[in-house]
Amino acid sequence: MEVKSIDELKLAVVAEIDRRADEAVGVAKRILENPEPGFRERKTSQLVRDKFNELEVPFQDGLALTGLKATLSGGSSGPTVAVMGELDSLIVLGHPHGDPETNAAHACGHHVQIGAMLGVAMGLQAPGVMDSLAGRVALIAVPAEEYIEVEYRNGLRSEGKLEFLGGKAELIRLGALDDVDMAMMTHTELRDLPGTFGVGATNNGMVAKWIRFTGVAAHAGAYPYDGVNALNAANIALTAIHAQRETFRDEDSIRVHPIITRGGIAVSSVPADVRMETFVRGSSIEAVRSAAEKVDRALRAGAMAVGGSVTITTTPGYLPIKQDSTLENVFASNVERLIGPGQIVRMGHRSGSTDMGDVSQIMPAIHPYSAVATGNAHGADYLVQDYDTAVVMAAKAMATTVVDLLADGARGALEVKSKFRPSLSKGEYLSLVRGMGSEETYRE
Amino acid sequence: MTTTGALKEFAAAAIDAKRDWLIGIAKSALQTPETGFREAKTSRLVHESLTELGIPHENGIALTGIKGYLKGGSSGPTVALIGELDSLKVQGHPHADPDTAAAHACGHHAQLGMVLGAAVGLMVPEVLAELSGRIALMAVPAEEFIELQYRWGLRQEGKLGLLSGKQEFIRLGAFDDVDMAMMTHTSASPAESKFSVGGTSNGHLAKHVRFIGRAAHAGSSPHRGVNALQAAMVALNAINTQRETFRDADAVRLHGILTSGGSAANSIPAEVEYEGRVRGISAEAITDAASKMDRCLRAGALALGSKVEILTVPGYLPMVNNEPMTKGFKANCERLMGHGACKVYPDSRTRGGSTDLGDVSHIVPAIHPYTGGATGSGHGTDYLVNDYEQAVINPAKAIAMTTIDLLANRAAMAKEVTAKSKPRMTKKQYLKLQTKRFSEEVYDPAPRASRSGLA
Repeated sequence: MEVKSIDELKLAVVAEIDRRADEAVGVAKRILENPEPGFRERKTSQLVRDKFNELEVPFQDGLALTGLKATLSGGSSGPTVAVMGELDSLIVLGHPHGDPETNAAHACGHHVQIGAMLGVAMGLQAPGVMDSLAGRVALIAVPAEEYIEVEYRNGLRSEGKLEFLGGKAELIRLGALDDVDMAMMTHTELRDLPGTFGVGATNNGMVAKWIRFTGVAAHAGAYPYDGVNALNAANIALTAIHAQRETFRDEDSIRVHPIITRGGIAVSSVPADVRMETFVRGSSIEAVRSAAEKVDRALRAGAMAVGGSVTITTTPGYLPIKQDSTLENVFASNVERLIGPGQIVRMGHRSGSTDMGDVSQIMPAIHPYSAVATGNAHGADYLVQDYDTAVVMAAKAMATTVVDLLADGARGALEVKSKFRPSLSKGEYLSLVRGMGSEETYRE
Repeated sequence: MTTTGALKEFAAAAIDAKRDWLIGIAKSALQTPETGFREAKTSRLVHESLTELGIPHENGIALTGIKGYLKGGSSGPTVALIGELDSLKVQGHPHADPDTAAAHACGHHAQLGMVLGAAVGLMVPEVLAELSGRIALMAVPAEEFIELQYRWGLRQEGKLGLLSGKQEFIRLGAFDDVDMAMMTHTSASPAESKFSVGGTSNGHLAKHVRFIGRAAHAGSSPHRGVNALQAAMVALNAINTQRETFRDADAVRLHGILTSGGSAANSIPAEVEYEGRVRGISAEAITDAASKMDRCLRAGALALGSKVEILTVPGYLPMVNNEPMTKGFKANCERLMGHGACKVYPDSRTRGGSTDLGDVSHIVPAIHPYTGGATGSGHGTDYLVNDYEQAVINPAKAIAMTTIDLLANRAAMAKEVTAKSKPRMTKKQYLKLQTKRFSEEVYDPAPRASRSGLA
């Protein structure tokens, strides 16, 4: 068998992706029209299953309820490189592509990730490519990156269907990444990035809190003095949370942004059961811990003030991301090669969070961005405008990166592995995030 | 023997004869407003006026108070007639002291004219000779329960035991020889344009609260600070949410002021002080509302991780108006100004405010009627006495006439009042109750709160 040069392999991969570009973009657009939030991605999951079948790649499904993992094997053994795409949508009222019933909407661009991931699979299936690579490529469709619907997911947790509320953490726990040596994905970003792709961004870590204030119901007109108003407790707690903000350091990039998911059931009854969800985000685990303590005491103060109680269920969220610079350099060189110099920019800290952060704590990982969208991220106006870059170019950049990593006896991947110092082993990761969870009821 | 009707005419005529002098005293006091336990000039004015009338008296009771006596022709019970020396503090009142903001926005200055007027009427020899017993003329300090921190300081120095004038008069024994007490307060209510009597007042207690945080540069290192002002803000918001839990009938009032809100805008406030008040119609209502205020104060501290010190100071007891005296007073108002000149309120009706005559009324029979003569909003910048005839002269006559009713005819009515009215408590029980209501708590979210009684 003729072993092709890296350049030849890349040309073949890129040509194949170009040839099947419409198919990859078509997948992205179909997902856009069928948005489903995390752990509910049935149609999206089915679409990926159909595509894996069409591509005739072996895969597992039902991972963390809706996830899928396909494997392409190289001509010889070697490391496994994962290329990931996220299945889930957000929930945003009034998005033009929103589901009219559930308000689910792809206001974060995950739909293009599945297109790009399948594009990578298509490219690497060009004749002779995989045979020339040493190792395997795992194509992973991951559920539930958006950490939302906490109450619903906690319900799944109680039923034993989940332990963690984010898709990638679940995949780690379930062992779906045990055979993976490094991982990559590409996320969309606004077009105002001064280049086509961005690398080097850091992200906030976070914990999530599900909060329940318990009071005593009473007739709000006749006997309000017999009630204990849980909505007032929440109101005081929110005021108290805001009073903490000046103590957050700029460099910690703290974000606390609660919503009230239940605010009472009848206006004529003193609210006795009021529920909130919030994230506490920060650029380091320590910063998240410190801010989370302040949030807890504010919540306790709300309950104390009205003479009620509060139950705080804290679930581990995501860890800050650590982008692997060796892997990043490989990705960046491929972007420059594909679309010319100056098209890759370095990004700074981003105060959102991603569960790719968790993956990055245990293996080399990158989470680059493609500058393709307009509007407000997570807003009703967030729209991907440039599918060619978002799906096709991202697929090319990731597929050629895979070639660099696994060609030539996987020299590139072995170099990435040798330079990488994991922050945590899988075992350490699991005990860290499990330690971040708690449930306490306060009555004081 | 002269009839009581004739005695009343003698007294009224004497008061009318001194009309300008009496109104002059009230107006003079208006111009030198002084807050409680600081009434040096006002006290001197009363001292000089009593001296001018030749009435023997003692000065310096409870720091600035005065007590004089008129002795009747024969022995018998003692009726106290009370006027209050102190002013309020209201910024922007037209008669406010420009330096201290002290202002007579509650009409106490008129009371001094009334008491001296009653004295003028009762000291007419023909009248006094027919009375059996004595009249104690009292100018009492500090009815407004304000400047808690200053008064607490006086208490620490041993100059005060309780923090209002009548409370101190009771504690010091100035009411020991008094059998019944009476005063008249001005009112700006159009419904009370002549006189009113009856009803009750709220009881209360006061709180001096100190949130203790940690100072830090508010620009460069706010994360090192613990913001005591934020703790107070959370607490005040929390207090407001309690209001729906109060029964209308309990007339609960929770209110207060920040007496210190930080020392420099560029430093995280580390010490913030709040002076709070809890009022209600009964001891139970006050206890319930005060415990709610306390938990809100603690919640503010918990939320910010600051400490809070809560000093609770006993305030006033609800007013109990004596029924026979109420009837007697009403009859004299009608004698003076005709039928319907005195509105009588049922016992359950509260004005929402509080008076330390409530404390006196728990120990001896007492009445706290109101007279017209004022306009504007009580304790506001527009509260003005503008009808001195009704604010000073008419109530002086009504008080003098009611005193004649009580002490003439060998003090038959006074003796009946004493016989029929069982005081709520003895002086000893009163002092025990009030002393028990002092408390001091330090709540420190970590470690847990410690409580200690303080007496």
